[in-house]
Amino acid sequence: MIKRHSLSFRIITSVLLITVTLFILILSVYYYYTRRIIMESTQRYAIELAGNISGKIEQILLPMEKLPLMLAATMEMGVFHQDSLMPVLKSILKHNKNIYGTCLAFEPDFFPDKGKYYMLYAHREEDSIQTMILGGRDYSYFYMDWYQIPAMLRTPYWSEPYYDEGAGNVLMATYSVPFYCMQDGKRNFAGMATVDIELEWLTDIVSEVRIFETGYAFMISRNGVAVTHPDKSQIMNSSIFSIAEDWNAPILREIGRELLQGKSNFREYNIPGREPRWIYYHNLESNLWSVSVVYPDREMFAPLIQMNTMAILLIVAGLLLLTLITSGIINKLASPLTQFANSARTIAEGNFNVQLPPVKTRDEMKELHNAFSHMQLQLAQYIENLKETTTAKEKIESELRIAREIQMSMIPHTFPPFPDLPQISLYATLKSAKEVGGDLYDFFVINKTKFCFAIGDVSGKGVPASLFMAVTRTLLRSISDKEESPSRIMENLNKSLAYNNESNMFVTFFLGILDLETGLLQYANAGHNPPVLITCQNDIRMFETANAIPLGLFEDFAYPESQLQLNNGDMIFAYTDGVNEAENEQAILFGDEQMLHQLGKCKDPNPASLIHCLETAIESHVKGFPQSDDITMMTIMYNEQANKI
Amino acid sequence: MTIFKTILLSVAAFIATCMSSQAQEKKLVFTPHWLPQAQFAGFYIAQDQGYYAEAGLEVDIIHPSASVNALNFLVEGNADIISLFLITAVNAVKNGIDLVNIAQFSQHSAIMFVSKKSSGIETLQDFEGRKIGIWMSGFEEVPKALLSEHSINAEWIPIMSTVNLFLLGGIDVMTVMWYNEYNQIYHSGINHDEMNTFFMADYGYNLPEDGLYTLRHTHQDKQDELKAFVAASARGWDFAAQNKEYTINLVVRLMQEANVPSNAAHQRWMLDKVLESREIEHKDVNRFELHHDDFEKAVSIIQAAYNSNIQIVFEDFFQPVLPLNK
Repeated sequence: MIKRHSLSFRIITSVLLITVTLFILILSVYYYYTRRIIMESTQRYAIELAGNISGKIEQILLPMEKLPLMLAATMEMGVFHQDSLMPVLKSILKHNKNIYGTCLAFEPDFFPDKGKYYMLYAHREEDSIQTMILGGRDYSYFYMDWYQIPAMLRTPYWSEPYYDEGAGNVLMATYSVPFYCMQDGKRNFAGMATVDIELEWLTDIVSEVRIFETGYAFMISRNGVAVTHPDKSQIMNSSIFSIAEDWNAPILREIGRELLQGKSNFREYNIPGREPRWIYYHNLESNLWSVSVVYPDREMFAPLIQMNTMAILLIVAGLLLLTLITSGIINKLASPLTQFANSARTIAEGNFNVQLPPVKTRDEMKELHNAFSHMQLQLAQYIENLKETTTAKEKIESELRIAREIQMSMIPHTFPPFPDLPQISLYATLKSAKEVGGDLYDFFVINKTKFCFAIGDVSGKGVPASLFMAVTRTLLRSISDKEESPSRIMENLNKSLAYNNESNMFVTFFLGILDLETGLLQYANAGHNPPVLITCQNDIRMFETANAIPLGLFEDFAYPESQLQLNNGDMIFAYTDGVNEAENEQAILFGDEQMLHQLGKCKDPNPASLIHCLETAIESHVKGFPQSDDITMMTIMYNEQANKI
Repeated sequence: MTIFKTILLSVAAFIATCMSSQAQEKKLVFTPHWLPQAQFAGFYIAQDQGYYAEAGLEVDIIHPSASVNALNFLVEGNADIISLFLITAVNAVKNGIDLVNIAQFSQHSAIMFVSKKSSGIETLQDFEGRKIGIWMSGFEEVPKALLSEHSINAEWIPIMSTVNLFLLGGIDVMTVMWYNEYNQIYHSGINHDEMNTFFMADYGYNLPEDGLYTLRHTHQDKQDELKAFVAASARGWDFAAQNKEYTINLVVRLMQEANVPSNAAHQRWMLDKVLESREIEHKDVNRFELHHDDFEKAVSIIQAAYNSNIQIVFEDFFQPVLPLNK
């Protein structure tokens, strides 16, 4: 069974489509030419057939015509005695089997003793010959066509078919020859010598010619009237023109008119409701009768139809065989493909050692087999490598997780950090972009009266940045043990970091030392974003900081120091560039302005709520776009009032 | 079986004899004025459908031959009723035959001349000196009157019944009936547009033609039979008008029996045209009525043609046997 969308189905339908189209084309051309050949040969056959019929008829008619001619000539010579005329007629009939009757008809009162009418007539009746003298009121022959027409035209004449009532009493046609006699030195018309031919007998002769199964021949007169016809009731009664009208077939009238003009032709005629036929027609030489041969189209082209039917049957059988064989071959050729597909499925499930279908040929299938086994091998190796890599990655990831835990443990994350220092309220967060980050913040108290805080951002990210950050943080703690001035701490820190800094890493850094008693803030900035001061009057502004390079670049750099007097309730908001440079999908930054605006908008501000406000604002800005940099924020609030308790 | 059959046949014969003796059908012989054809279809139908028998008549339809006309049958006592052209009947009266018209069937003229266009005969004047075919059995009065009126001298050639002499060029003009010979010429392969036609009606000779005639004494003696005959014939014509194909088949069969050339196409044409010639819509006459003016026209033609001053009284000539109504 061929599946509808299988390869073999598609190939076979394509092949069949082309083959069938080709066959139709070839058959049509073949049909057209064969039909033409048959038509031409049938035309030749028809012409020959009609010629044969004509010949047969002429053989009968021509000798027949000679008899009245001779009779007329003899009458004119006056060699016969009046009483010997009938024996002459009888003798003519006796010696001419084809003649049905013969007569001598005389002009009115030709023989004074015979009266107005005098006509001698002899005709056959079964095996005998009957004679009669005719003429009278009931047989007024002067006005009969066979007499009147040649008499008026003064020429021999073949009559139209007629029923000779009162004389021959059969359907006949008469050939009449006028004769003359010399009277007073003048050649006067004296009468008519005739012979009759029986039309049913003539029909039998024409009908002897077989034309296919139901084809037939017929003869018509010069008026188009049937002279012979297989349907004998048509003789004398129907003309080709009356039939044309009866059948509503103008083409028959056209054919009839061509015949009357003496034309011959071979043509097809289709009459609605009747089967198509072919007709060949031509005129006899002896008179104006014509012979037509009619073939049914169906019979004429029967051999062609038989041949075509046989050809179509053979083609259909051939195509069926072709389909069966082709599908067998294609199925056999393509069967490894299905097995390859199954193997591919098994491989996809992870079983790389699946057995591939055996291919013994050296064709594309073999190439596919080789490619498959190569793929199998490569996949196995790749998966093996992948396993190893994954193990290594998992190990690194686990280590990074631990590193983060260590990093996070290095920065203070217990809030409030100094329950015994009421002058300071503080809150800070660090949200890394990667497992470990390069941001840092720190704060601690020096000599119980000074509060030191710092925020920084190491260049780069990841493990190197976090290590650099750890170093910075450790150095900060150890240096601030010995120094109290922010610029001095910065300079020492810078020196230590710049020393042996092979990897050229650096850190932007802000360091502030707040005198808890006076509220004086001393600070130094190494290229970090200036923090924001939020006064208790809700005046928000950025710190003014001197320009200085980040730490770790040059060993000997003097960091300027600035100072600022804090009042009760003033807050310092320190942050890294992950805040103002937070990016959304459209690469729009959160920005300083929005940051300041959000800070101002925060109701009931305290260090924690301020940071939460900003976190919310950033989240709604980035709308879930992945964070690209660490976000670190720290808010410190100075409570001067605490000193006075 | 044979005994049973014989008894059955004897009984049947007995019943038939009783019935026929009861009916006592009255015999009539009807002779139409031409060979069998659709021109007389109504009479054949009346016979075929048993209308005559229903009317208590035993009618024999005996046709004349092309050389012996219907009038001879009447005069010689071989027919009780004949059909004739009006003009032929008036001429017969002039010749002393005491005829009466008992019903006028046709109301229009169908007689005409035909010439081939190839002969160059385009107008009546072109007939001068030409040969004109005319039936030898009569019907020549109107054509001759027409040419005489126009002072045209032509040679009249008597023809028995065919158009062959005309087709072969033996005569230049042929007198034909629109419903018969005209179509025979067409059925011999001459197209309508190859013929010139001259309808008598177009020259003021629209004389009605076919009517039924008897001798006056027959009219007096067989009043009832004639009445029954005309009524049954009228039924026959009504049936023919409504059942044309049946009628045509009957006509063709009768023609073949009489060995007269026949075919359905031609008889169909004839029946249509004959029925048209009986239409009275545009004429102030009743069915089967002879219009007084038509009669007077016929009489005047005969008077002129034969230079006679014969006087015929219309009321004596036209004696309808059926009450006249539309």
